[in-house]
Amino acid sequence: MSSLAPRMSPALARIGRRAWIAVAVIAVVAVGLALCGIGFGSTWIDPRRIVEILLGEGTRGERVVVLQLRAPRVAIAVLAGGAMAVAGYLLQKVTRNELASPGVLGVIGGAGLGVVIFLALLSDESNALVTSIVWQPVAAMAGASVAISAVFLLSGQQASSAVRLLLFGIAVGAVAKAATLILMIVGPIYRTTQASRWLAGAVNEINWAEVQVVAIGLAIAMVGVVAVARRLPPTDLDEVSARGIGLNLPVFRILVFALASALTALAVAFAGGVGFIGLMAPHLARLIVGRPVMAGIVASFLLGAIMLVGADLIVRVLFAPTEVPAGTVTAVIGTPYFLYLVLRRGSTNG
Amino acid sequence: MPHASPTKSLRAHWRIGHRSLFAGLALVLFALMYLSLALGYRLYSPEEIWTALTAFDGSEADVVIHDLRLPRALMAPMVGAALGIAGVIVQTLSRNRIASPDTLGLNAGAAFAVVVASGLFGVVSLPGLSLASALGALVTSFVVFGLAAAAGGISPLRIVLVGVTFAGLFDSFVNVVLTVNETMLDQLLFWLAGSFADRKLDLAFNGLPFVVAGAALAVSLARPLDILQTDDSTARGLGVPLGVVRGLAFVAVALLSGAAVAMAGPVMFVGLVVPHAARALVGLGHRLQIAAAAMVGALYTTLADIVARFVIYPREAPVGAVTAIVGGLLLLVLLRRRAA
Amino acid sequence: MDKAITVAALTVAYGAATALSAIDLEIPKGKVTVLAGPNGCGKSTLLRAIRRLHQPKSGEVRLGDLPISGLKEKELARHIGLLAQNPSAPDDMTVEELVRLGRYPHQSMLQPWSTADGEAIQAAMFGTGVSHLSDRRLGSLSGGQLQRVWIAMVLAQETDIICLDEPVNHLDMAHQIDCLDLVRRLNQEHGRTVVLVLHDLNLAARYADRLVFLKGGSVVAEGAPVELMSEQLIEDVFGISCRVITDPVHERPLCIPIRNSSPRFRAEQATQL
Repeated sequence: MSSLAPRMSPALARIGRRAWIAVAVIAVVAVGLALCGIGFGSTWIDPRRIVEILLGEGTRGERVVVLQLRAPRVAIAVLAGGAMAVAGYLLQKVTRNELASPGVLGVIGGAGLGVVIFLALLSDESNALVTSIVWQPVAAMAGASVAISAVFLLSGQQASSAVRLLLFGIAVGAVAKAATLILMIVGPIYRTTQASRWLAGAVNEINWAEVQVVAIGLAIAMVGVVAVARRLPPTDLDEVSARGIGLNLPVFRILVFALASALTALAVAFAGGVGFIGLMAPHLARLIVGRPVMAGIVASFLLGAIMLVGADLIVRVLFAPTEVPAGTVTAVIGTPYFLYLVLRRGSTNG
Repeated sequence: MPHASPTKSLRAHWRIGHRSLFAGLALVLFALMYLSLALGYRLYSPEEIWTALTAFDGSEADVVIHDLRLPRALMAPMVGAALGIAGVIVQTLSRNRIASPDTLGLNAGAAFAVVVASGLFGVVSLPGLSLASALGALVTSFVVFGLAAAAGGISPLRIVLVGVTFAGLFDSFVNVVLTVNETMLDQLLFWLAGSFADRKLDLAFNGLPFVVAGAALAVSLARPLDILQTDDSTARGLGVPLGVVRGLAFVAVALLSGAAVAMAGPVMFVGLVVPHAARALVGLGHRLQIAAAAMVGALYTTLADIVARFVIYPREAPVGAVTAIVGGLLLLVLLRRRAA
Repeated sequence: MDKAITVAALTVAYGAATALSAIDLEIPKGKVTVLAGPNGCGKSTLLRAIRRLHQPKSGEVRLGDLPISGLKEKELARHIGLLAQNPSAPDDMTVEELVRLGRYPHQSMLQPWSTADGEAIQAAMFGTGVSHLSDRRLGSLSGGQLQRVWIAMVLAQETDIICLDEPVNHLDMAHQIDCLDLVRRLNQEHGRTVVLVLHDLNLAARYADRLVFLKGGSVVAEGAPVELMSEQLIEDVFGISCRVITDPVHERPLCIPIRNSSPRFRAEQATQL
């Protein structure tokens, strides 16, 4: 191909430009909301002041509140919400199923089981971990991968029906949840309250070490996401057509599932099973930026971050000083939306 | 045809009459109830059990048997029978073999109603909680089926998706109530997982009228329910007033699963598993199917309750988690066989 | 001629859309009446309204001299049997279990099962030739066998009048003939009044004693097939130009379609040429 030939038609280029402008706008909103997230609490801190504190100014008290208490919480919400949303985007694309998300495909349940097994096996008598916390997301990822593999192996041919695939996911998720429950009772009580809290999805009581683990893991996973992203569009095609243009869909799918499991696991390992973000954020992203894949992924990440930071902010405003899991808010908003998708006529086969 | 299915129910296949079948089931049930008294963290001999029941003298064995084991030996069969019958009705109403009070969100609705009634309105009386539970199940069934009908008759699979989604939403609500009201958490956490442990005998006696009323209503609806297995037009063609029958059937389900949830919490997937066994035993006629579901359900939960005492021995697992694993696996098998 | 059912000024509407407007029709006793017409003409709606599955907006349906609106559900089900379009039942139901359902309108809560019921289902299965299948599960039957079983269920209902809504829709040609022969035999040997909705005009002409053409929610013509099967009338009702000859075997009129003659279709053709 001649190097002088334009890489895409002007119309496509225009769509791409518009998508990135939209992404920029979403990014501004995300940053603004994150600052509000840090600012809100027992005392309100002005966003401008927060920026100054983050840049190294402020009194000792302010620095403790912002840097040790509030910023990690917001940071984990940004990372976990974003990771969950990107996982949802990938799953929806590759299964060609607009109802797909980590929650309904059993991925969250599997990740939760992985973490509980990890905690139960690798704690000593005094309930302290005998190994580094760094391995917790690895355990979550192992659980998530097992769960989504089970869903796809068991569903087989039926995976092409959106509704059937989801039911397999729900069944696997139910088994994982029950096993988690039993293991929580085996474990000491202190772990039970902790575990039940994050199973519902909560981002409180986070420290910088945990944020670091998620950030590094996420950075690695995102490299993989960028690598597969360039090849995602053909998955809009059916299997035979995709093969016709040179994409081995079954193999590619496994790769994407692994990535989605990793992303979900990172989120679940520290923020818990926050439902519906993996469903709603990608939908909203596609609505705003359209089909371009890279813009869609970035927009999903930002919107997921906005949703979880926002949900956490809402529970803090409504229920303070009690810590209600942020997952409650996403469930309350997500349920009607999911029902709308399921009940809409002719939306999906099944 | 994927596989040669037996052409008859197992009962016909084994050439045994209804009476022998039900007598056999009852015998097994009594044996299990006895084991439920005898087995656990401590094992008791027949003599110890006999003295505890007939000549209570306050010894430790007597107290454990009389106050701890006896209520669950009585309550487990009641809850199992109630959920089994409710499962049969719900599967027929939705013409869907993977429907159950769990997958349609009814148990979660009942549990939410109990948590709200006791947590926010301070209801403590047992009849009050049973009533709240039944109302929760009834309202949820109307909402789930109503939504399905409003969407213009959606497929059975989608009804289950709607029900499961509602169940998730109720779980979140319960979480909120429990987090806001931390004192309830300890009392309710084990109950919410579904369990027969630490229940008072009062609770069993209190649920009994609801279970009996629900079961009686179910039996009286047996023949219209037979007809409801066909499509709506055929059923109306045979003279079944659909609206009336469905409404009464909802009430029966609400009484049964409401009572079960009030007694033991949501014991997962019993209503999903039991009807399959009942149909395999006696076929699709509802008079026998309901009776068989009651017996099999009673057997199943009593057995699961005994198993729950040993899976993580010396601790005890909630029976709901045990039945959830069995039921979840069965759900996978049913989906794979495209039974739904 | 005795009449089994009288339809008087019957209007049925779905919301704002009128499906049937002021229909007057008599269904003769002991005959096979076939309702025919193009898609959406209201033939199935009429059949279902006769069985009171649709509430009329105005007008009424009378059974003999009784308005059906005054009958109880079970009472009506003892007079009129219905084989619905695409009926469904669980795959693991046995043939006998399904046929037994037909006895529902004859049973009461206090007297669930009588010898008369047993005889009726035996007779129904024998009459439709499915006795040997009685323990088979529905999911294991062929399409033709399944349709016979459904007819057996309607027969077990022991009604004077039987309504069948497109009973041969999904059957191959051999089973279509098989099924309709069975229906005609029931009519001739047992004197039952049969009302059929059929898609296929030639099958309608072959099996009908009396043919009713509907179009746009109204009855356009009714009469014996020989009277009704005129080339002009078929073109008016079905929008198709055709030749009508006499079937040399059954001596019934046979329509040979030539081309779509509806004005809109012709216009589309013209613009393409």
